[in-house]
Amino acid sequence: MVWLHTRWAIVAGMKRWTVLGACVVALAGMLTSSACQNMPGPFAPPVQRQPLADFRPYRISGIVNMSDADAQTRFVQDITGLQAATWRWTGKRPTVRVMTRSTENLKYTIDFAIVEATLATTGPVTVTFLVNDRVLDRARYTHAGSQHFEKPIPAGWVTAGEDVTVGAEVDKLWVPADNSPKLGMILVRMGLTQ
Amino acid sequence: MWQAIAALFGAGVTVLACYAAGALLIDQLCVALRRDERIPLAFVLGAACLHLVIFAILALHIAYWPVLVALLAGTMAAAIATGAWRGVRTESAKPVPPLSKTLQLIFGLCVGAFGIFYLVHAWAPETSPDGPAYHLGFVARELRVHGFEPIANLYAMLSAGVEMLYVPAFAIGRHSAAALVHFAFTIALALAMLAYGRRIGKPWAGAAGAILTFASPVVGIAGSSAYVDVATAAIVFAVFYWTEIWDGHKDEHKDGHKDERRGLRLLIPVGLLAGYAFAAKYTAFPIAIYAFGFVAWRAKRIRPLLLMAGCALIMAGPWVTRNWIWYQNPFAPFGNGLFRNPYVHVLFEQDYSEWLRSYGLPSLRPLPLEVTINGSTGGIIGPVFLLLPLALLALRYQAGRRLLLAGALVFSTYFANIGTRFLIPCLPFFSLSLGLALGESAPLLAGLMLLHAVVSWPPVIKRYSQSWRLERFTYRAALRITPQDEFLRANNSGYSIARMIEAKVPAGEPVLAIGGIPDSYTTHEILVSYHSAGNETLTDTINMGWSDGFQPSVARIFQFPERKARRMRVLQTAQARHREQWSVHELRFYDRGQELPRRLEWRIQAWPNPWEVQLAFDNSLATRWRSQEVAAPGMYLDVDFGREESVDEVRLITSSDIIRTRQQLESMNAAGGWEKVADNPRQVSQPVPPDIRRMATYEMHARGVHYLLIHDSDFGAEDFAGDPEAWGLNEIGRGYGARLYQTIWK
Repeated sequence: MVWLHTRWAIVAGMKRWTVLGACVVALAGMLTSSACQNMPGPFAPPVQRQPLADFRPYRISGIVNMSDADAQTRFVQDITGLQAATWRWTGKRPTVRVMTRSTENLKYTIDFAIVEATLATTGPVTVTFLVNDRVLDRARYTHAGSQHFEKPIPAGWVTAGEDVTVGAEVDKLWVPADNSPKLGMILVRMGLTQ
Repeated sequence: MWQAIAALFGAGVTVLACYAAGALLIDQLCVALRRDERIPLAFVLGAACLHLVIFAILALHIAYWPVLVALLAGTMAAAIATGAWRGVRTESAKPVPPLSKTLQLIFGLCVGAFGIFYLVHAWAPETSPDGPAYHLGFVARELRVHGFEPIANLYAMLSAGVEMLYVPAFAIGRHSAAALVHFAFTIALALAMLAYGRRIGKPWAGAAGAILTFASPVVGIAGSSAYVDVATAAIVFAVFYWTEIWDGHKDEHKDGHKDERRGLRLLIPVGLLAGYAFAAKYTAFPIAIYAFGFVAWRAKRIRPLLLMAGCALIMAGPWVTRNWIWYQNPFAPFGNGLFRNPYVHVLFEQDYSEWLRSYGLPSLRPLPLEVTINGSTGGIIGPVFLLLPLALLALRYQAGRRLLLAGALVFSTYFANIGTRFLIPCLPFFSLSLGLALGESAPLLAGLMLLHAVVSWPPVIKRYSQSWRLERFTYRAALRITPQDEFLRANNSGYSIARMIEAKVPAGEPVLAIGGIPDSYTTHEILVSYHSAGNETLTDTINMGWSDGFQPSVARIFQFPERKARRMRVLQTAQARHREQWSVHELRFYDRGQELPRRLEWRIQAWPNPWEVQLAFDNSLATRWRSQEVAAPGMYLDVDFGREESVDEVRLITSSDIIRTRQQLESMNAAGGWEKVADNPRQVSQPVPPDIRRMATYEMHARGVHYLLIHDSDFGAEDFAGDPEAWGLNEIGRGYGARLYQTIWK
């Protein structure tokens, strides 16, 4: 009898633990299934936004992205029409005009690319980086590919609230076979950053 | 000066009411406790009970000053009237050896010196990063509206068990009162740890453990600010303490039905506090696992566990239920991949969690030095904790084994957020273990305490660490000899920004901000960019104005022979890399060069992130639907035209930051199955609208947000500052490292 009682106690105990386990599993199941009920039904199209009537183009910007719709308004010279979503061919001395509200921590910034096909013809090129026609620095490029250059601008070179010309001069140009204009580099963005 | 008195009074009555509530419950449960352990344990237990009542008050929207004062006064009066306050019926007669004079001196000196420093810091105006931001930001807001509100903010989704106690304190004494309540938890924890040492017959180990935790620099700064970490540690340790009391009682009364019932009663505090630990901070939940496991092991019966589970549910249940009802996610703001909801984006949770797991450290190898000495993870626990491996020597004691097991369990959640503060809940266990490891060697333990006290003394810390810590003894600010406003302006730039918003923005207007500010110092709702899915989407729209990668510069065009279709979808078929999601500014359908007008009968849906699908159909290139998960096969945008339409071209306008995604176009056939119409869409550049900046801010304006706060250090700040008018903004305030803008539209 004692043996039986002991065994029954264990079984009964197990049952209780099983019930407890089952409760936990059921609760977890409830939680999980409720997670699937959160999805909203389909929506109708919203009110259609109409073009703004009071557009005013962005005037003051330190940097000119070639993809900007109003980028052309900042070109000074030697930048061609848009070639792709984000870049343009340049001539010898691509230059843009920018303005900045502050002269603190200003950096000349340019993202460009040297094309393998042009490099094969011209050989290594030297690019001179200019701010208000003053030479900030020079760099020699012997390999094709994307390039990034930035350098702090010395104090006094730029006046807050006034136009600044930012340029880059390529020493050797590539002459296309069809005698179309000579090309320098592929320009992505150029200007001043802080 | 009245501010100082109000702060002290607000904190004082809240703390006393907590103690009173705990004393009443202990009296009802007829638990015999020594005086030295009854005070801290009753305070923490009462805090748990009081938090629940305040939760109910907020849920009922009756959080008025008289209600809160009546609650505090009533609780104290009841405890005094019944004698529970003094513990007349429950004073333990068990003799405990008194502390030696040396121990009294060292303990008193350390706790006294650090305690005064902490008290003064807590009493001074609140300048911590998170305290006046979200811990008290929501408290202030709840008091303004006299109850809870469903706030789409990930911090509002966290359980706020300790912040509930800040509600009455803040109502009376504002920010400093809340910090002082937290300071009371810091004191209670130290007292409880000392009492535990005495309970197990090792007062030196108890005192050493208490000092190691109490003087720890991160405990000092967090425990004297309106945070919740030290309170959580006190709650977690109280759970452990009560399991020890229950176990001790069980061993003493192995026979007798009456004593068994009394033993069961002892599990009520265990269960309540285990639930309250979850309510205080999600990451403290492992202490419940310890408690349940310990009781299951020792009792080997289900009834005690059911009782504990019921009590724990009383404490944790309201928070889980609130989140379930309001945010469709019982564990919000986590688990959004399972409990999908429109309030927190899945990818944000993944990104944020990833950052919290690393804090930008390249690997976790330097972590021990960071959390003990350098502090790049936000504070240090102190160099003495480099000796922590010695704590394993405590395994030779039963108490040591239990402490280390409980500590290890509480520590198990630490790697989800490696901020030093997240070590605080397991610190009491490891500190006591370290104390135990050195046995009862008074000279060693005295040396350890004094060494820790010296290297953790605030003026000493700055000699070896630049971490977040207490810096100055701000008694003039505490007593408001230095005016509160002056002190806050000098010590918290965010305060000045908050006051600028208060002065410049009309009442009731929300402000979108890229970075956070101390919300509780303004009455305006600050919509911080990453605090909710809605804010994140709005910020994405704003960023579209200046960030090339976000702008609608690419069109993906499907062209195919004209066909009739009632329902079409664009299916994403490629697996992108981490963080790259699928986004669509606009999805347009064409027939013979004419766009199909979007009729009201159309039904549009998306997977995932179905809530924001309309952003791809609103005719605005300044908004976009994003998957908010890494782009993966099976994601789709689905349009039911409501009738058969002729279509020969579909255009997805998207951005150049979407690279590794592939789409195919499908149409639903008569049998209800999807069949492929076209894939490999032609990709062409598309000009970005020149007024994209103004379009972006117009979207913000159209959603009722007319004010924008940009810190000078925010990405794109110079673009806004350069020409606000082109953005459709007027600058209405500037200073303290930020600019405040208002949209131009009325």
